[in-house]
Amino acid sequence: MNKTLLGYIPEESIIYQIHPFVKLYFLLVVSLFPLFITAPEWNALILVVTLGLMAASRVNMSTLKIYVPVAISMGTIIFLSYTIFGGTQPEYYVLFRIFGFPFYWERIRDAIVIYFRVLPMIATMVFFLSTSRERDVIVAMRSIRIPFVVTYVFAMALRSAGMVLEDFHIVRQAEQARGFDTKGKSLTYKLRKYIMYMIPLFALSLRRSEEFTNALVARGYAFTGEASKVKRADYILSSYTFHVYDAVLVGIISLIFISIIVLRYFFGAFGIEDSLLTIWFSPI
Amino acid sequence: MTVIELKNYTWRYLDTEKPALSEINLKIKEGEFIGIIGSNGAGKTTLSYSINGLIPGQYHGIKKGEVLVFGQEVEEYDKGALQHRVGMVFSDPEAQFTAMTVEDELVFGLENLGMSLSQIKERLEWVVELTGLGPLLNKPPYELSGGQKQRVAVGAVLAMTPDILIMDEPTSMLDPLSRTRVFNVLEEIKKEQNNTVIVVEHSLEKLVPLADRLMLLDDGELILFDETQAFFEKMPLILEKGINPPGVMQFFYRLHEEGSYHDKFPLTVAEGVEKMHSILRKS
Repeated sequence: MNKTLLGYIPEESIIYQIHPFVKLYFLLVVSLFPLFITAPEWNALILVVTLGLMAASRVNMSTLKIYVPVAISMGTIIFLSYTIFGGTQPEYYVLFRIFGFPFYWERIRDAIVIYFRVLPMIATMVFFLSTSRERDVIVAMRSIRIPFVVTYVFAMALRSAGMVLEDFHIVRQAEQARGFDTKGKSLTYKLRKYIMYMIPLFALSLRRSEEFTNALVARGYAFTGEASKVKRADYILSSYTFHVYDAVLVGIISLIFISIIVLRYFFGAFGIEDSLLTIWFSPI
Repeated sequence: MTVIELKNYTWRYLDTEKPALSEINLKIKEGEFIGIIGSNGAGKTTLSYSINGLIPGQYHGIKKGEVLVFGQEVEEYDKGALQHRVGMVFSDPEAQFTAMTVEDELVFGLENLGMSLSQIKERLEWVVELTGLGPLLNKPPYELSGGQKQRVAVGAVLAMTPDILIMDEPTSMLDPLSRTRVFNVLEEIKKEQNNTVIVVEHSLEKLVPLADRLMLLDDGELILFDETQAFFEKMPLILEKGINPPGVMQFFYRLHEEGSYHDKFPLTVAEGVEKMHSILRKS
């Protein structure tokens, strides 16, 4: 099993045959698809395809259960924002009323449209994070010639997130060992006492930064001067090959994207007016 | 050939009143294996950082005297140039990781040196064989055990084949087995390479058999610097400074104090056994 940013994937997974750039390209481009598609059924199709790709990549699908509460709460927030907190619209069609609040058909429809736009975006992100390691992200960025310093800072940001969490656990355990524990206390108490964790965490972060700078200097890395002008071999890229099928995949993703834009703006496809939601459920 | 020379070197950190190192004078020759010992706060790490250029480069303080590496004052080196010749391994291996996989970690320094891909591959193969890190190449370094992490840290610096290798308490966070593995790597370096190696270490059992010379620092002062055998002839001073010599040496020192042993102190258990046999045969 190989550890990815969000879990583990078997080494035999087909996803390892694909160049990291293709995965990054998929994330960046496919997550834009829903912005050009209003009809929920098409966005639902993107969601299903993405989930299918996850299954094909041997992502442990049971781990997706953790996103169900997120999806439900997000859907609830969108629904409430568009309906109860959506304001009064006399020109809209009132579908029903609860405690005097009017629930408009157009508002509910818009909430569904937005919800089905967000879901595939999240799914593409989860797909990317579930199938990529930190190294893949760096390789993807460097393969499109993003400067070393930028990719390096990005890599360290990824790494520091884990380190801060680890340090937080250490600080919390150390404070618990000395009798300070917010377990079972009220939320306001926890918030007030949170500073007890933040101060040592901040001090630790400063120390980490110092150690990290020392490590970079000791390894001969410099941001300025002659050493910074050295031409780097970028060894990391030599372990990856951009195959013909990678180019084909990039081509297919690009072609679908262009097709969506053309169909949307020149042929009026993917609009809400012709969507199954309107055809089947519109009371107007 | 002298590769490191300190002349009346004094360093005081900006926020302290007492110098961390005071009036240090020493010379280290090419290919020597030097052990630095001393209690906490003695100035061992400050001395290591001074030779590597981290002091005064990364720290604020007041410097007096000279620190010459290959005959040139450390402050006169271009940024990064000194570090290409003087490698440094820190006590906390995790603090020095700069990459996402062990393989990337090992090649990071080589990329900084401006090596070509083929040179990097060749150097990588060599260092992987030396440190036994082959099965770990694709793993994130921060997910390894303590001993493995330290081997990665040592390997990453060794790959750069620095002329001088400084290790600041490389085994302080390791269990005995991992400590042995790190010292096995050091033994290999001593056998195969002509690098000058400086190791700061509290545990003397493993260091003593490898060290050509030992240095004792106390409260920022260099109070003893001699060949390993000669160093332990000053046993009362060493014990007075809270240093814990290897058990076999302490045993023979006790015999010496009781008047039953008058020879040199053995540096290893094997030497001790041999000497014991010889004593028993004579008696």
